[in-house]
Amino acid sequence: MADQPIWISCIVAFIVLNVLLISMAYMTWFERKVLAAMQDRLGPTRSGPHGLFQPLADAVKLLGKEDLVPAAADRIVFLLAPVAVFVAALTAAAVIPFGGTIDLWGQSVNLYVTDLNVGTLFILAVGSAGVYGIILGAWASANRYSLLGGLRSAAQVISYELILGFSLVGIFILSGTISLRGIMEHQQRTFSIGPLEISNWFILSQPLAFVLFLIAAVAETNRAPFDLPEAETELVAGFHTEYSGFRFSLYFLGEYINMIVTSLFASTLFLGGTDGPGSDTYWGLGLLWLFLKTIAFLFFYVWLRATLPRFRFDQLMGIAWKVLLPLALANIVVTAFFRILANGQVF
Amino acid sequence: MSWDLVFFALLAAASILTALGMVLSPNPVHSGIFLVLCFLNVAGIFVMLGAEFLAVIQIIVYTGAVLILLLFVLMLVDPDELPAFSSARPLQRNLSLLLGVVLLLEIGAAIITRTSIGPVGNDSPEAIEAVGGNVQAVGITIYSKYLLAFEVISLILTVGVIGAVVLALPERLGEKVQRRRDTISLAHARGADGLLPEGPRGETPIVVDPTREIAEPVGGRRLIMASDPDEYTRVGARQGGSEDHDA
Repeated sequence: MADQPIWISCIVAFIVLNVLLISMAYMTWFERKVLAAMQDRLGPTRSGPHGLFQPLADAVKLLGKEDLVPAAADRIVFLLAPVAVFVAALTAAAVIPFGGTIDLWGQSVNLYVTDLNVGTLFILAVGSAGVYGIILGAWASANRYSLLGGLRSAAQVISYELILGFSLVGIFILSGTISLRGIMEHQQRTFSIGPLEISNWFILSQPLAFVLFLIAAVAETNRAPFDLPEAETELVAGFHTEYSGFRFSLYFLGEYINMIVTSLFASTLFLGGTDGPGSDTYWGLGLLWLFLKTIAFLFFYVWLRATLPRFRFDQLMGIAWKVLLPLALANIVVTAFFRILANGQVF
Repeated sequence: MSWDLVFFALLAAASILTALGMVLSPNPVHSGIFLVLCFLNVAGIFVMLGAEFLAVIQIIVYTGAVLILLLFVLMLVDPDELPAFSSARPLQRNLSLLLGVVLLLEIGAAIITRTSIGPVGNDSPEAIEAVGGNVQAVGITIYSKYLLAFEVISLILTVGVIGAVVLALPERLGEKVQRRRDTISLAHARGADGLLPEGPRGETPIVVDPTREIAEPVGGRRLIMASDPDEYTRVGARQGGSEDHDA
């Protein structure tokens, strides 16, 4: 990691935090608009042009609502659980690289908050800590439906975390690093087929891992078709039934920030992060590429929600343990075999 | 006083306080929360020691494990039926006190020998940097020096998993698990209603075509039309139209 004064890191962190919060607000707008277009509706149109101020109106509405705590609830845990989800979701963004080191007004600035050499695992660890917010909030509500949602969430996240982790092992084997920045830099190399020069993105060398990662990431973020913890038709919204006002919106924010961070994570791991035409010379172009890739993943999330019906819970567990896990393990074995072959350690 | 010391003091104090909270809190779920907080603080201390890999693994492994623990508490423990806090038998209480003191002495002895003779082995910060960081250092150590121990531990864990599977199996091993074969429907078969009455606003009555064949349900399941669901769902109740279907 190139050294920089701590105040620059603080400024970068501040910018990342605020951009994340604003993009989260507009993610809700994006989702409603795309969903509406897919269902032949208009979506939000009333506040501002094309409903662009809708997120602000929603935020004001949620802030103005009464913060209810059920009488039977475990008060402290009930009040703190949504904060845990929110904080965990934001913390994960700290290791996402938005580019290399640039010169800005005579200062060299790193375009990432921190380059942890175990960045990938850090995101997984923070993600697993975020589940506590859901299960504790569900338990503290003293509501059967909430508890069911929380239990589902815990079982689901534990199963799919495994697949998420295993799908990344192939990348670790090929790139020889678990630092997100190292993985991104590894993908900036190119290989050529005839006259074509192709970026060495991991989606090309690890297609199976990419599919597994996508499925597991949707399940990890509790999104449709894996949104069983908050299945509104059977659990009355699941773990956040008893939450109102701003505490509900913290869960909501946490879920959307999780989606954005997961999309950034996926773009960095499989699509080369900021890699794209011209990104070596202009760091702004790199940011644009990363933005476009992330939007593609976010669109995919919304697309899934508009298209697929919800899984049944036994199907969810069955597909995780009986289909995805063996595939992920097979992917690791094959990748390791080819790596050893390439190193010339056999034959 | 350097910042490192301040942060260490904060983390250490927090981990001791949360550990105390874990032991002293009467509610098992609160104990679980304190345990997770304690692990997070210990992970922070690992980060300060430059062992980021250990810190992250600590969070992944232990928060996952404590989550399972919490699930067991939620599913199996009735909070109203918990025993009083100091209701352990005298033997248990004295023995645990003794074991705790012995453990504390062992840790103290380890710290004292470590400070008096210095670090053992060649895992200095420079040596770790030479192999490429602490991920590589831990990996090389586990897969070369402690390979046998590592494999034995994996074997033990596999045995544990097999044990859990055997315990959770509903039937004895080798016996075929019976599955539901029939679909029970409370609907009326097409044509069984005869002519439906005319609608309130004089719609044309639905005319049932008696020659039309009723489609068989696909997927090899038999469709049973029932007027009373209890005939089929009550365990052991098999009378009334359910001559030969299996449970």
